Amino acid sequence: MRENEENGLPAGMAPEGKIEVPAGGLVLPDSEKGGIVNAWSLSLVGAVVVLTVLCTVWPDPYLEILRFLPGGLVVTFEVTILSIVCAIPLGLITGLGRLSHNRVINLIASTYVEVIRGIPLLVQIFYIYYALAKFLQVSGLTSAVIAISFCYGAYMGEVFRAGIMAVPKGQTEASRSLGFNKVQTMLFVVLPQALRTIIPPVGNECIAMLKDTSLVSVMAMPDLMQFGRSFAAKSYLYFETYTVIALIYLIITLLLSKAVSILESRLNYYDKRK
Amino acid sequence: MLRRLLCALLLPALLCSSAMAAEKLVVATNPEWPPMEFLDDNKNIIGYDVDMFKAVAAEAGMEAEFIMTAWDGIFAGVAAGNYDVVASAVTITPERQKAFAFTVPYYDVQQIVVLRKGDSASGFADLKGKVLGGQIGTTGIFVAQKSGVDMTIREYDNVGLAMQDLLNSRIDAVVCDSPVALYYANQKEGFADQLTVAFRTEATESFGFVVRKDRKDLVERLNKGIEAVRAKGIEAELIRKWLGE
Repeated sequence: MRENEENGLPAGMAPEGKIEVPAGGLVLPDSEKGGIVNAWSLSLVGAVVVLTVLCTVWPDPYLEILRFLPGGLVVTFEVTILSIVCAIPLGLITGLGRLSHNRVINLIASTYVEVIRGIPLLVQIFYIYYALAKFLQVSGLTSAVIAISFCYGAYMGEVFRAGIMAVPKGQTEASRSLGFNKVQTMLFVVLPQALRTIIPPVGNECIAMLKDTSLVSVMAMPDLMQFGRSFAAKSYLYFETYTVIALIYLIITLLLSKAVSILESRLNYYDKRK
Repeated sequence: MLRRLLCALLLPALLCSSAMAAEKLVVATNPEWPPMEFLDDNKNIIGYDVDMFKAVAAEAGMEAEFIMTAWDGIFAGVAAGNYDVVASAVTITPERQKAFAFTVPYYDVQQIVVLRKGDSASGFADLKGKVLGGQIGTTGIFVAQKSGVDMTIREYDNVGLAMQDLLNSRIDAVVCDSPVALYYANQKEGFADQLTVAFRTEATESFGFVVRKDRKDLVERLNKGIEAVRAKGIEAELIRKWLGE
């Protein structure tokens, strides 16, 4: 994942300055291609149809499983939304820190990115919940949000950095020569333009985040995955339970990826008219 | 000609030797359930179940090779045929019997609730509004759920993590099989001085070895093995060794 910044290009950057979808994330649906029958609609319709058929034809156990899960869905969304709220500012600060000419700030931000990206999220969750409990005890939800937002803050830092670097240097020069100071230039000139390239990959990271919240089940957080595991462990219906869990995750991420792609096409409104 | 002769001589010998070697059973266990099964300092799987099953298999003329498995999914593995037997302190329940075949019971336990020293409870009702932890998919969790008491139940990947969280005061109680609870509350370093046994359930549960539903032949052989182990007094010896009085 994200190796391509080793070869001089910022993370997620294709040479022509367009941010690529990071590997491991979802492929964002391209609204220009394919009309009604495309991969996205096929997957969504397929998932919904399979889930509906399973629940109507075999209400026992499929409908029972589906009824068991909403409590877990709430926790999954809770963790995801709180993590997004924390990770985006963290990512922005990290991205700016990585671009800073101040060597100390730059070093801190870069070290943070290197360290966090080098440790699997599952290990981070274990570390924050079980290992740090020796010194500091935080609840399951807090640990989950801290672990996920720290992890994704580092990933998003790279996205922000790439997005800011993609804004032509002339913009900064023009703004500076018109009398804006550095902060004003970043805030009013560079960032608004960078957002257009940043938002789609950040949206993509958010979807990846939702999927990765399934890892918090290891600290007995009652999220969607944990509810599923609990049900499977009780009923021994592994195939049925995990089929439903997979379909639910799929439907949610497909809907969210559509939302991101709509957002992307709106942001690129003027590009298309050229 | 010579080659053919050799083959003719060797082939029966080879066939014989493979038939003579004891049948090898692959046995899955979740070594996070001391003293029934756990890892020693050299990462060998040890415990009552391990010694017991090895004795049973030996009596039945088979060899046992133990492999480590996560508890969550241990049943899926035996159903899929990844291993022949589960010997991992598995309680025989009607639900499990529907899906798997069990040997005759080989050990009886109860559920025990463990608290931090200084707390007390005499039944699940006293845990109302509290947070109870346990290992996912274990009968302790099922018993707590069936009690109908309004408490938060948290299902950990293994009982050690639940005990750790009990020490860290994130949860108020842990429920698990009596040998495990007693091991943590009386024996285990770092836990024994801080934990106490609150109460045990009245109902007893019985452990059995688990095999796939279509392996009735294996169940019969293992049952004979268990009988022999009992008759020879090996069982009593192993109970003394691992579980005390």
